[in-house]
Amino acid sequence: MKKSYALSLLFLFGFLVSVPTYAQQNIKGKVTAEEDGNPLPGVSIVIQGTTTGAVTDLDGNYSISVPGPQSVLVYSFIGFSTKSITVGNSSTIDVVLATEASELDEFIVTAFGISQEKKSLGYAAQSIDSEAITTSRQQNVVNALQGQVAGVQVTNSGGAPGQSARIIIRGINSLDPSADNQPLFVVDGVPVDNSTIESNGTPRGMTNRIADINPNDIETMSVLKGAAATALYGVRAANGAVIITTKKGKSGVVQINFNSSLGFDNLVKLPKLQDQYGQGFSGERDDSSFWPSWGASIAEENDPNYVYQDNWNRAFDTGVQFDNSLSVSGGNEKATFYGSFGRLEQDGIIPFSSWNRTTAKLSGTVTASEKFNFSGSINFTNSGGNRVPHDRFLERMMYWSETTDVRDYINEDGTMKTYGNTNPIYDARFATYEDDVNRVIGNINFNYSPTDWLMLSYRLGTDFYSDSREEITPGPMGIDGEVALSSTGFIEETRINSRDLTSNFYITLKKQWNENWNTQLRLGNDVFERRFDRVTATGSNFVIPGFYNLSNTTQIFASQGKSIRRLVGFYGDLMVDYKNFLFLNVTGRNDISSTLPTNNNSFFYPSVNLGYVFSENFELPSWITFGKLRASWAQVGKDTNPHILGATFVSPSVFPLNGQVGFSKNSVFGDPNLKPELTTSIEFGTQFAFFNNRANLDVTYYKSNSKDQIIPVPISDATGFSSYITNAGQIENRGWEIVVGGTPIESGDFRWDVSANITTNRNEVKGIREGIDQIVVGSQFGYAGSTVTMILKEGQAYGNIYGSSYVRPGAAEGTETLDRDLPQLIGANGFPVRTGSQLILGNAVPKLFGGIRNQFSYKGIEFSFLIDFRSGLEQYDQFGNFLSAFGKQEDSNRRNDTVVFPGVLADGSQNAKPVWLGQGVGPDGVNYGAGYWRNSYRGISENFVNDASFIKLRNITLAYNLSPTVLERTPFRTARFSVAANNIILSTPWDGFDPESFSAGAGGNAVGFTGLGFPGVQSFFFTLNLGL
Amino acid sequence: MKLHNKIRAIMGASLILSASACESFLDVNENPNNPEDAPISGLMTNITYETSLNVFRSGSAVSNYVQYLASPNPDSGSDTMEPLDFSGTWFSLYNVMTDLNEMNKKAEEAGSLHYLGAGQVLMALNLGMTVDLFGDVPFSESFNFTTVTPKYDDDQTLYGNIISLLDQGIANLQGTTSISIGNDDFIYGGDVATWIKFANTLKARYLIHSRGGSGFSAAEVLAATAAGFSSNADNAEVIFFEQRFNPWAQVAINNSNLLLGGWISEQFIEALDGTSYPAVDPRLGLMVGTTDDGEFIGTVNGAGRGDAPEQGARSTLIPGQYYTSTLSPVLIATYAELKFIEAEAALDTDKARAFDAYMAGIEAHMDMLGVAAADKATYLSDPSVNVGAADLTLDLIFKEKWIAMFLHPESWNDARRFDYGYKNFSPPANLNPNLGGNLIRRLAYPDSEISRNGQNVPSVTLLDRIWWDQ
Repeated sequence: MKKSYALSLLFLFGFLVSVPTYAQQNIKGKVTAEEDGNPLPGVSIVIQGTTTGAVTDLDGNYSISVPGPQSVLVYSFIGFSTKSITVGNSSTIDVVLATEASELDEFIVTAFGISQEKKSLGYAAQSIDSEAITTSRQQNVVNALQGQVAGVQVTNSGGAPGQSARIIIRGINSLDPSADNQPLFVVDGVPVDNSTIESNGTPRGMTNRIADINPNDIETMSVLKGAAATALYGVRAANGAVIITTKKGKSGVVQINFNSSLGFDNLVKLPKLQDQYGQGFSGERDDSSFWPSWGASIAEENDPNYVYQDNWNRAFDTGVQFDNSLSVSGGNEKATFYGSFGRLEQDGIIPFSSWNRTTAKLSGTVTASEKFNFSGSINFTNSGGNRVPHDRFLERMMYWSETTDVRDYINEDGTMKTYGNTNPIYDARFATYEDDVNRVIGNINFNYSPTDWLMLSYRLGTDFYSDSREEITPGPMGIDGEVALSSTGFIEETRINSRDLTSNFYITLKKQWNENWNTQLRLGNDVFERRFDRVTATGSNFVIPGFYNLSNTTQIFASQGKSIRRLVGFYGDLMVDYKNFLFLNVTGRNDISSTLPTNNNSFFYPSVNLGYVFSENFELPSWITFGKLRASWAQVGKDTNPHILGATFVSPSVFPLNGQVGFSKNSVFGDPNLKPELTTSIEFGTQFAFFNNRANLDVTYYKSNSKDQIIPVPISDATGFSSYITNAGQIENRGWEIVVGGTPIESGDFRWDVSANITTNRNEVKGIREGIDQIVVGSQFGYAGSTVTMILKEGQAYGNIYGSSYVRPGAAEGTETLDRDLPQLIGANGFPVRTGSQLILGNAVPKLFGGIRNQFSYKGIEFSFLIDFRSGLEQYDQFGNFLSAFGKQEDSNRRNDTVVFPGVLADGSQNAKPVWLGQGVGPDGVNYGAGYWRNSYRGISENFVNDASFIKLRNITLAYNLSPTVLERTPFRTARFSVAANNIILSTPWDGFDPESFSAGAGGNAVGFTGLGFPGVQSFFFTLNLGL
Repeated sequence: MKLHNKIRAIMGASLILSASACESFLDVNENPNNPEDAPISGLMTNITYETSLNVFRSGSAVSNYVQYLASPNPDSGSDTMEPLDFSGTWFSLYNVMTDLNEMNKKAEEAGSLHYLGAGQVLMALNLGMTVDLFGDVPFSESFNFTTVTPKYDDDQTLYGNIISLLDQGIANLQGTTSISIGNDDFIYGGDVATWIKFANTLKARYLIHSRGGSGFSAAEVLAATAAGFSSNADNAEVIFFEQRFNPWAQVAINNSNLLLGGWISEQFIEALDGTSYPAVDPRLGLMVGTTDDGEFIGTVNGAGRGDAPEQGARSTLIPGQYYTSTLSPVLIATYAELKFIEAEAALDTDKARAFDAYMAGIEAHMDMLGVAAADKATYLSDPSVNVGAADLTLDLIFKEKWIAMFLHPESWNDARRFDYGYKNFSPPANLNPNLGGNLIRRLAYPDSEISRNGQNVPSVTLLDRIWWDQ
């Protein structure tokens, strides 16, 4: 229970009620908190064995009449240990309540930053606190959620500094391959932008914008999962919401906190590689060959100029990150403040990759009177770095000779040192792409309560950023014999301006009708606007080598893309509470979106949920402390991107040419009758606490159906369009979320806390619009017909990967799914026979994932670890495909072997024909050409669609807190030192780099393709926290 | 309760107010980036520009098959005739045809017959290139968004469409127009008379493909050639720009900066340097570069450069020549091509006419390249070239046409019609083992079509011939 109970004060205002009693003895007293001695309002006091009770007032005072001295008063307040006191002869009983040992997350911050008693929720919600956020030292808030919350799947897109991470709650809702299926991020009640704007051309691993938030400033994060939890944020929260509450000042002395952390990154995992053969082709050494490792045996060559260079280990640096932050907070009863500075510097494992972030935040709250309070905050961030072309880096690593030192990449005159192929490190160094983001997030909140049952609230938020990007690829320097990165060189300047404005006005009406019935009604209006403008100018062909300015180029092209999106919403939210054990919540919202056709742009969606705390009603075994059932039904609508409707024309950026501007029909067509998407979800759950909150269990079943999915359906170019945006599909997601936690051991100074979560997800494409047989989500290149495609078909699961496979004579006629257990057909040439017809080779959506966190503490020592896992998914291993094309995979050590492929011949008999795996003429005199891996293996997708499950040690931390007795002799209030490690793979069947990395970036949904992206890293941290 | 009522009243009023204010507030969805309509001239500009690039793209796709070019790397898929994915080229072809469909509709509505005629000619050309590469392709259900999975039309039927489009184009170009074509036309700058010659030249090109087939009429071809180009000045081409270099020039520039590409096949070098044929062709040095030692050495298709370094040891495209200057034209159809079509069509009926056309074709190409008069005379009088009407063979016509059509996609149509029968033509090293020693006859349907329109994509192998190649 880390949250300040001052927040709960506001909420519990309405619970004040005096209860008539028939008693002989009057007791008065004051209830205070042990932690700080402040009075506790709203504490419930009940005479044991009766329903008679009282509640403390604002100053913590109470009075109650009891039948006699033998009466026992039970003091209870959420977040505090319950205390029972026998009255005796006292007339004044002051009580000090201690914070409850076990954390049951009784309060949770829900829509509009309202702290709500978790007990009253009719839907599942989970939150994590600042310690859990910062322990893992993740610089990206999204990563900090990894493995910690049921139903939430976080995937790193790669290990580059500042690279985006993707968060998906309860599966994919939108089938649109480019749709943002990520939740809305809300900071202090105001939604903020979390888009990832990838680079043009080769992927650079850009940042998802929520990473501009300094994790050290966060107090708690709540994850609202179902539509029920998010109906009040409207369309933008259709995929759920992550509610971030930043740290606030507390009344009392000024506190200063300093935090410094030094981290080191290195490659988490490499594929298995061969180290026996060097540069050349057909078994022949050739020191200038394009082919990096189809050459001679290194051992047989026995030449110091032809040795394995271990480039795959040597090409990567040790990444370093250094993070410092300082915060000052404090205040009095009238006003509080919080201010912080943060600076992060990070260099990645690919040479010359970097990302830096500087943040400054100031927030404050003022309680002007009992009726009026306001608060505001402003957060400035400058972030950016040099984004290396990571996909290309690894592709060039693939082409680079295994017998040439990749680190020896530059000549004295600055030109590339190479035998012919482009050196990946030279490219990473000189083909730069730098982004520079300046961002201001601000909000201001007013609350006015003219009476105790009415409150008017207004929040205004802005999120503004400019992103200035410069890409430079140098042309030739004009030195004889140089190998340039580009024959002309080019510079691309991109300027992005984005501004979000959010206005939210609402009225809260509270009424305690009698001791049994309590209601709260909220009515509001919400307005959102995003203006976005991106201008790109590209100049190529530098006149003066090395002078990088647009005006120094002979060919200049410019383009612009701008957009406006506006949303207006009206909503109502009614909460009814009967006797504090039955909770009903009904919401309704109407959104109007500028992005939809005017006749379809207004849509209403309701929700209803019910929570029933049966443990207050029934006599349960004493070991059951708490029990609740909950159910919810909710709908949420979703609009689309701005400016996509109808058919338009584009002017390709190459124009003007000779003074003429050409136009071409836009290959994207947006259905002019587009309707909003609608997701209907139901949820049932139960929550238990046992043994006086020493253990707890929360189980949820969810099912959501999204219909009228707005999807840009890739269609045959021959139709006149390549993409048709229409309401094309329905998808269903369903699954279970189980959260278990507790404190197995608490004995003396030793304490062990554990919390675990596990999620299952099944989904099914329920329907695709008539006339469209299938929807292509994405595809990834593979050599010689091994390209794989993620395709959606009715009745199938989302995420099926299609590709080529081996012919299997036993396969059932018309089957679409590959059965790897059937024997392969072997051709007359002795090699397995390939079929290009596309079969389902795997599915990229994990069926089961979760995490378990253990925390141990003994005196000042804390030890914790978080293990997370995912299973039941396959991914396409593009690396594997390339490795086999270039003779780099470990298996290619067999290249001089003669084997008999297991399988059957066309006549059904077992194959017995021995074949040679190498290139050229084999020992049997047969010419095998380019050899088995190039002629056969690399062209069959099924070889590269593999199980991508993992178990990871997401974080392990050992911390030491200086004891108060030592601290007394120092100027410090607190001091803590910790060491931590992140992202250590414990087990995975995947042969490649980190199976979690994927090259598409966080914005898209085509996650089944790992690509040649930035490999994942494991990190080690040393952290010092000081409090003054 | 009174306050409740007041609040309700205020809420209600503000709802109504905001609802009406909403409408204009939310009316911001008009596309600020892309106009809803485009001028006909803007379409013409992009269509002529992109059509020339489609010729380049198709030429680039097949230049290794006809062994103009060879990859510097062994076992390159473009040399060894593997199934490659030409989704990009397919998109570009259909993108231009979609724009043509749009422009032709606008032209028809506006009565601009010249735009309509030119549009029909270019539709025939782009459709012709598509059919010649892929065989059966979508067309009758295309462009107008009647279905998202258009069916594939029979390639021979589509040839009927091509000829008919050309005939309609000629008729419309001869008509009167409400709007004249101008500098928006990157091919002829609005010269309608030459457009008509171009249409006839294309007609000759597509008719000659079926020579040897049942419906072929040499007279029809000869009628078309007679109405076609009358000199190099009529050539259909797009001259490239300071702002955008000729794409073959870009290949040559890249190669000179060691971004390798544009390496010349040994087959091509040996055909011109006196190895395969007695006469040394003076055009060789004007079309390709030499080694550092001033020699012409080609690269064997599929074998790669062996132990040769990246530069200076093999012939490649080099910047600044006729095909490879930054401002060079991309050739769409030439007078030389037309003369060779005439020679082929007349060979069986009128050997003298065929021979004259054959000689004129060589000369036209030499003039294009700027071959010195003396060199030209020497070559044209060489007995192995100047064989006389009686001894003119189809082999000679195909050989000279192959040289004159350097880097042009039409050469692959010829090569297939000629069964790759060029002298000393040998299959590439590391030939795709699935071809069983045979040579490629069509491109594989692109991955984009297989995934988006898979039900309709015909099931074919690289050895299945298209209709005129039987």
